[in-house]
Amino acid sequence: SSNEHKLNFKKSKEACLSYIQDALLQKQWKRAAEFLTCYVESLEKDYSREHIGPSEMIWRIGTEILWHHSQSRMKEFNCFMEQIKTLGVKRYLKVCLEHVFHLLCNGQIDEAYQNLSLAESWRFGEQTAIQDKEIKLIQAYRGLLDYCSWSKQKKILLEHGEDGFEDLAVEQEMHSYFRKAAVNLKEIIKTPGVWDVFVKCYVDLLEFYGEHNEARQVLNEYAYNSKFPANPNAHVYLYQFLKRQSESKKSLISALKILHDIVPSHELMIDFNTMLQKSKKRKKRQLGLEVIFAALDYAGWKENAKAWSCLARQVKQIVISEKHLNWIKQEWNSRKDWWPDFHFSRYLAKRNWQENKSLSHDKALVAGILLGKDCKYFKYVSHKGCKARLKRFRMLKKFVTRHNPVYLRISG
Amino acid sequence: MEFPAALFPSYFTPGPPREEGGPAPVAGWGEHGQVLEAGPGRRQAQPAFVPRRGATGERWEAAEAAAVPVLLPSAGCWIPSPAPQDILYRSGLCRKLQAGKSGATLDFAKQLGHFFVDHPEDAFGSLGRLLHKNFYLGNAKLKRPARNSTIRMTALVEDINRLEARRGCPRQHLASRLRWFSHLCRDWLFEVPLGLLADCLHEELVQQWSNLLFDDSLTGGALAWLPSEDGKTSVGRLVHPGGQAMNHLYFQDVVLEELPHARGSPAQFELSGRIRQVAAARVDGQDFVGVRSDYHCGVWRVPGKTGAAPAPLQVIRTDVPASCLTVSPHLAGELSVCTQSGTVYLWSVETGLQQLRHDPQTMFFRDHSPWRWSDFTAHPRVLSCADRTGLQCLDARAPKRCHFDLFKVGEEAGCQQGERVVLPMYLGRAHPSQYLVTTQFSMYVLDERLPLVPVLKWAHMMKAPPLFAHLMPGKPGRSHKVLLGASRTQELLLLQYWDSFWGVSSGGSQSACQLAGTPQKLHSIAECLQHLPTQLPHHHHLVQQRLSAPAAGLAATLQEDGPCKSMLIFQLSEAGDVFCQRLIHKAAQPPAPPSRDEATTAPGSSPLFEAPASSPHGLGTVALWYRRWLRALSRAWREPPRHTWPPSLSQRRLFTRRDLEGPAGPSSLQKQMRQRLRQAMQEGSRIQCWEPLALQPPPLPQTLELAGGPDALSNRLTAAWAGDWDQWWEDRTSFSVAQRQRALRERRRRQKRAQGHRSLSASFTSSLTYQSELSELSDVGPSALSPGRTPILSQEGSPAAGGPPLRSHPPSPVPDEALLSSQSLRCRGIPKERRKTLRDYLSVWAEGPPEPPELPGSQASQLCFPSSQSQLSSASQPRRKRPRMGF
Repeated sequence: SSNEHKLNFKKSKEACLSYIQDALLQKQWKRAAEFLTCYVESLEKDYSREHIGPSEMIWRIGTEILWHHSQSRMKEFNCFMEQIKTLGVKRYLKVCLEHVFHLLCNGQIDEAYQNLSLAESWRFGEQTAIQDKEIKLIQAYRGLLDYCSWSKQKKILLEHGEDGFEDLAVEQEMHSYFRKAAVNLKEIIKTPGVWDVFVKCYVDLLEFYGEHNEARQVLNEYAYNSKFPANPNAHVYLYQFLKRQSESKKSLISALKILHDIVPSHELMIDFNTMLQKSKKRKKRQLGLEVIFAALDYAGWKENAKAWSCLARQVKQIVISEKHLNWIKQEWNSRKDWWPDFHFSRYLAKRNWQENKSLSHDKALVAGILLGKDCKYFKYVSHKGCKARLKRFRMLKKFVTRHNPVYLRISG
Repeated sequence: MEFPAALFPSYFTPGPPREEGGPAPVAGWGEHGQVLEAGPGRRQAQPAFVPRRGATGERWEAAEAAAVPVLLPSAGCWIPSPAPQDILYRSGLCRKLQAGKSGATLDFAKQLGHFFVDHPEDAFGSLGRLLHKNFYLGNAKLKRPARNSTIRMTALVEDINRLEARRGCPRQHLASRLRWFSHLCRDWLFEVPLGLLADCLHEELVQQWSNLLFDDSLTGGALAWLPSEDGKTSVGRLVHPGGQAMNHLYFQDVVLEELPHARGSPAQFELSGRIRQVAAARVDGQDFVGVRSDYHCGVWRVPGKTGAAPAPLQVIRTDVPASCLTVSPHLAGELSVCTQSGTVYLWSVETGLQQLRHDPQTMFFRDHSPWRWSDFTAHPRVLSCADRTGLQCLDARAPKRCHFDLFKVGEEAGCQQGERVVLPMYLGRAHPSQYLVTTQFSMYVLDERLPLVPVLKWAHMMKAPPLFAHLMPGKPGRSHKVLLGASRTQELLLLQYWDSFWGVSSGGSQSACQLAGTPQKLHSIAECLQHLPTQLPHHHHLVQQRLSAPAAGLAATLQEDGPCKSMLIFQLSEAGDVFCQRLIHKAAQPPAPPSRDEATTAPGSSPLFEAPASSPHGLGTVALWYRRWLRALSRAWREPPRHTWPPSLSQRRLFTRRDLEGPAGPSSLQKQMRQRLRQAMQEGSRIQCWEPLALQPPPLPQTLELAGGPDALSNRLTAAWAGDWDQWWEDRTSFSVAQRQRALRERRRRQKRAQGHRSLSASFTSSLTYQSELSELSDVGPSALSPGRTPILSQEGSPAAGGPPLRSHPPSPVPDEALLSSQSLRCRGIPKERRKTLRDYLSVWAEGPPEPPELPGSQASQLCFPSSQSQLSSASQPRRKRPRMGF
């Protein structure tokens, strides 16, 4: 009966698909391609109501094969994509985007741009939410390519400008790129998302044309709008912008303070710490200590020599001045039950000494102050250092021994 | 680690997932996802772009055509877990009825039938014995007198068989006899009430079926590889479960030569439960191995030096099955434990357990699964905890206040409807702030610095959810490798990713995470079946069953031997087999001509097991291994099953030999009795009364005044006058026994009320002692004698009784303090837990209600503790040889 035939057809379709899958997972592109030619028949009787239909499957499998097949050329790939685009109306924009991505990754920027323009003008029935998102992305990528052309023109212009030669046509072209890019980029960064590339380009454009206020507004929105994800880069871009604008220390510090609150392990915390340490206000210096302690809590910072030298310097300062020992005490309180094992074990002393002498010097200083001169880490490093007749380590030993009572006050 | 200067673009929409879900067989192919500008290409004016997926990865090729066993199968049969056909109802009619629906029908009746057939004693033991004579199973007609009290079962059995033959037929009237019988017997025939039994069975069936569909107790996998300390020598240690019940933990040294093989015998530990998960992490050069079974978790320390013995550190017991155990990669001896009740603990070997969270509800939306998971993060004090709906990070120092959402099944991460978290894993060894989350559809890489937005997402297309994952971090400039493994289908998938690439636009700083190369399918254990030598069909079937057992764990290691890099992947099956495969790294080369394995590929036909020319060891070694493995396997089968005879319990530990021994020779009483019997037989007379002393006139009991009321005397006199004085005495004593029992019970009740609730085990022992108190009492009851009477009895009894002269140490009526002090009890060899019982028991006598006869303290202690000190038992020996009162 026809029903049975349908079932059998379905079965053989599934079997064919599993062979293709098997071949793909074993990188047997040629074999997969042969099966795919059989699978194309499945388009004829498409009764499936699954959310990935046969046309999408053929697109995905075909693309994958053409990416890897030893005999595939770009021309064939483009041809395949064009056919697929006519096949699946629902996924048209998605297919266009992926096609563009592939062109971009292969350096065919102009073709990609053409495809983007074509896709942008595509209309079919009512737009779904997904299609709306895709069309915005298409526009944004077009904006990005416009920006690339703009910066290319800018470069030419600047080079020519150095020669004292001005080209009006080039300048005009550049402006038109600017307008096109700005419109599209501005659009996408309004919707919540991660738009690092687009924001950067847009701000660059605005800054070039002196629209600093708008640039600041865009960056503030990107960083502080609660509908956007907590993206550390948003704060970094704002901080870099403020720095470029040579804003006051205060605003820089407040920008970094927020970054510190959301990502205490960000690499900018070193800059933040140095900035705070230089400050004359006690509160800021205390914050500096807090920042560097918090950064060193993270596994990724364990062997960061810069961070340890920052901490060692500040701890040394505090111990010498004998003021604000309670700062150290406060920070140490929540860490004293796990930092000794995490940072100052004998195993680490050995390894740090072998790998980085200056790191082990700074760590030993901190360990000596925090845990006293009898702690394993300090003992091992100072012993090794003195044995190797390094002056630095002899000084270190002297310093820690002299200030040993501090340890009792901190841990008490 | 620096944060990437620019991330791949993505939308961020909060809320539940919108995309319709479902298994999508090819969803992971053909997509770049997004692109990112990687700065101007080299010396070109044009910008260069990199894709999120589709970058070139390293090339790894399998060295052998199939996985090879690493260890020989252990002796003892493996008992396969139930298969769908064991549980499901398979009836033609039913299949048609079910065709439209997706639900499965459990074969409840069959299982209940199995229970009745397999355990008839438990099902209807006592009534079966009682009614034994009333059921007739023969074919002959029953005779008249028997017919009144006997049922002929043959017809009933025939009816049952007929019913079986046309199962599901609705013509019920044919079975009226059966219905009549069941109606009659349903309520009383079964030992366990049928309703209760059915409830329990149904619950178990549902549980088994859901386990068959998806067994999450294996999450994480029970296999770990501990590389050698320096990572250079080719010896490592494999930690795996084994034994019939998978309750033995092995630490096996393995040499990684051409084919990895075991060296020496493994360190072995027997645990008290099936091992579900083995987790390991290396801290400060030492490996810490955490082992999870349902109700116990343990941690071992393995020193880094090869050959050093693993040392067990600590064990914890949970009331609810534990679902997760992970070992901290930051601090030595720290682990995190989750239980199915929704509790997360930070477990430190030094400081014990710290509860971080207790919430039986799921985090982001309601999901019925009690599965919970927890792992460590970049911050040693911050732990992630997960359920099926997502992941949160908690600060162990203030778990209630400091937490943030790391991953949510929702539109934020672009999830599908019905998607659930299957396995989260901290990727700390590759990148300190990255996290892997797998669901049944996709795998995600998350960065805890940018929560909720996955830095990488890819549909893995596996047929079963990936329960196991293993990370092999790549050196700087090389990709990290992640292995995903499924349990039921034994699938293994190798993925590569870059945690960062060097973006030029970001001024040489790090850029976002990328998936590299295409995913690669690795050999599964079951695939090696076609390479095994031909066997007898039933052997073939058994081997097939064994090889296709669900996978239970996954481990891998990278090995660099000069320019030659290889990857070894170990896979553990539920049967306890460990198989291994080697992948060899191929340096980047121009697209090769279609490789040979591509040529030998008709679908369905197996690639022949020919030794690839490139592989240094070919068919010979591998085939040899297979043969050895098979031989060991068949030897294990041939071994006679160990429990063909009914299980027996050794009594040696319950009682000492002396307790089991009867009195050395026949006692004087017995001798006397025998003599009387012989005499009576010779004389041809009768023995009217067995009372040994009935020959002599019973002496007047002189002690009864103690309890006797004013009219007790007259009662006695009346009885004596009437001639049944004996009867009166017996009534009297048994009355006092009953009274004492009542007093004891009352006291017990008071104690229980006073103590409130106790632990289960405590109440168990106390109720046991209660029982024994009563039974012992009733044993000795009639012989309860006053202390004053004892000497008289011993006088009257035969002096040949051989007991020590009782007069020499008359037992004190009230147990003195010295006896009850724990020190004295201890020196008498009475175990600690029994001392209290003893004291309670004795104090009953001490403070006892006004009862006439007091039992000597030493005698009481002897009653309770047959195995106690000799001094006590010797003092109480007369009890056995009491000449006077032996009823």
